[in-house]
Amino acid sequence: MSTGKEKIIPILAIAVLLVGTFSTFYVHANKIDGEKDTITINNQKFTIKELLESVEFKTIELDERNISGLALDKLIIFSNVNCPSCHKYTIIADDSYQKTVNWEDMKKGILTDYKRTYFKDKAHAFWIYNVIEIEVI
Amino acid sequence: MDKRLIAGILIFGSLWGFSEVIIGSTLSNLGLPSGAMMTGFFAIFFLLISRLTFRQPGMQLGMGLIAATLRMFNPLMGCHICSAIAIMAEAMVFEIIWYYLSFDFEKHKNLTVQISLGIFTVYSLYVSGYIITQILTPVVDGTGFYFGNLMAILPKILSNGLLPAFIGGAITPAIIMLSKIDLTIKDRIYYPTTLITSTFCWITVVGSWLMVG
Repeated sequence: MSTGKEKIIPILAIAVLLVGTFSTFYVHANKIDGEKDTITINNQKFTIKELLESVEFKTIELDERNISGLALDKLIIFSNVNCPSCHKYTIIADDSYQKTVNWEDMKKGILTDYKRTYFKDKAHAFWIYNVIEIEVI
Repeated sequence: MDKRLIAGILIFGSLWGFSEVIIGSTLSNLGLPSGAMMTGFFAIFFLLISRLTFRQPGMQLGMGLIAATLRMFNPLMGCHICSAIAIMAEAMVFEIIWYYLSFDFEKHKNLTVQISLGIFTVYSLYVSGYIITQILTPVVDGTGFYFGNLMAILPKILSNGLLPAFIGGAITPAIIMLSKIDLTIKDRIYYPTTLITSTFCWITVVGSWLMVG
């Protein structure tokens, strides 16, 4: 082994630890403190209670269990988006995790009362916790 | 190709895939950070012990292919395609890192270097596996990849890599020590053991998948 490798490996380890540490500070500093019971859709703020009373429920089967929630397509229609099928939708969590889906996906998705999205026939990467916003793009 | 090496790829790949399916899914269902723990403990264990035992570049890519294939038959909850992509990515990144950084541990027993190698390797495996999964899963899924989505979660990915990095740093010296134990097995025992263990892993996972499915 060359001495160079013995020197460079600890430097690389320190570098990744520093990157990880700074990223942790950044994530916590930039965490969005969304109001617990509200969600922003198409730049309008709604309370979960308001949505639960107004938007149609849907049940989908995922991993051998049934999960119920607000139908995402009905949610978009409720928020008065013009031509819903003409847009894509970015679902954003409070830790900035986000995924963009199309209208066909929205028709297969739900938002639970604990603010988590689920989609039928989509990877778990699209199951987003603590949703604070659905952005219409 | 050496028959002993092929058998090694089969058994280590099958054990890796089996642990991802059974233990990874269980940890995930318990709400524990399964990705971090699977990479920090199991992935690095199978990748490193096989590399130090066989000293054959390319072997870990073959193991990743077998483990990822087995992961696709997961009978339990979990994202099949995400995990399979992550496993392949981890195997690929391990090959790249160890092509450049590996050296003979029998001559060098510097604990700092061993811990550092564990930290760097596992952090790189976890972060790259996560990033590649975030890129490929939406593509395979048919939704399409959005660069903005990745950029938004990049700090979170880099932050989440800390836990597996610390685990990797802690267990790498132990794996290196374990690899030095002479466990030379005669062919007449080695091949049947390899075959039986691999078959067990596959029958358990695929059989469960067929029953649940």
